[in-house]
Amino acid sequence: MSDDVEAAFDLAACLERVRARDQIAARELVEHLHPLVIRIVRAHLPRRVAEEDLAQEVFMKVFTRLGQFQGAVPFSHWVSRIAVTTCIDHLRAQKRRPEFRWADLSEKEADVLDAVLTSENDVGVNDALAARELVAKLLAQLKPADRLVIQMLDLEQKTLIEISQLTGMSTSLIKVRAFRARGKLQKLFEQLQKKERT
Amino acid sequence: MKTSASAWQRLAAAARHTSEKNDDAAPFGFSTRVAALAMAAEQPALRAMVNRLLWRALGAALVLMIFSIAANYSSISLTADGDQDPFDPVAEVLTTS
Repeated sequence: MSDDVEAAFDLAACLERVRARDQIAARELVEHLHPLVIRIVRAHLPRRVAEEDLAQEVFMKVFTRLGQFQGAVPFSHWVSRIAVTTCIDHLRAQKRRPEFRWADLSEKEADVLDAVLTSENDVGVNDALAARELVAKLLAQLKPADRLVIQMLDLEQKTLIEISQLTGMSTSLIKVRAFRARGKLQKLFEQLQKKERT
Repeated sequence: MKTSASAWQRLAAAARHTSEKNDDAAPFGFSTRVAALAMAAEQPALRAMVNRLLWRALGAALVLMIFSIAANYSSISLTADGDQDPFDPVAEVLTTS
């Protein structure tokens, strides 16, 4: 969400009204922030959690903590951090997935995995959806914070600075988490290469 | 055989080809429900203030308790030993009158 959009919306006036317990202003704030929050929630949605429920939880935290917002960072960054930490908490709460196996993949996903492991050619655009599903299954094997970082870096192609602003992590911590996540993914690929596709 | 790192990069590149066509706008009634829930919730500032006052009161009570024990330690220890009678102001007045 750009600063221009925030300026056009007159965020400061809206926040002032929300602090004065104005319900209409609260509704306007939710509508204004929903695109930002829902994109984060969709990108880091844990299994068995509805995106609307998670978005609602994020908004409730935003309203509860509104008194703590001092304006040191842009409001959209502050909200992003709440959304990110809420998603991480949910990802931590869910049980770890069982071992990643060929047998758990659909035919399309197995083809895509076969292609990236053995073929020199790029995966076709037609297989993009299967690739995305496969990526989601691989990322589910990572620690929540590592998963979040690698998703923002490699899938959403955000810069270190952007991720730092959105998550509140330092750039060095982001690098460490990305390194650890790639290492874990590398091990997963190596394990899969050793096993025969069934 | 491809290196694992490049396998991940190629897979991620393939996954990026999918375009998210989800509607980002809030679903009908969502903002009204969330706003109503948020406004119905107890004012956090008030709750925090009450909490803070309660903790301060508890701290002050503890300090007073420790101070009064320290100030009256000698009489308390004598009473506990049972060697001397505890100070009895009524008996004191009766004996002097």
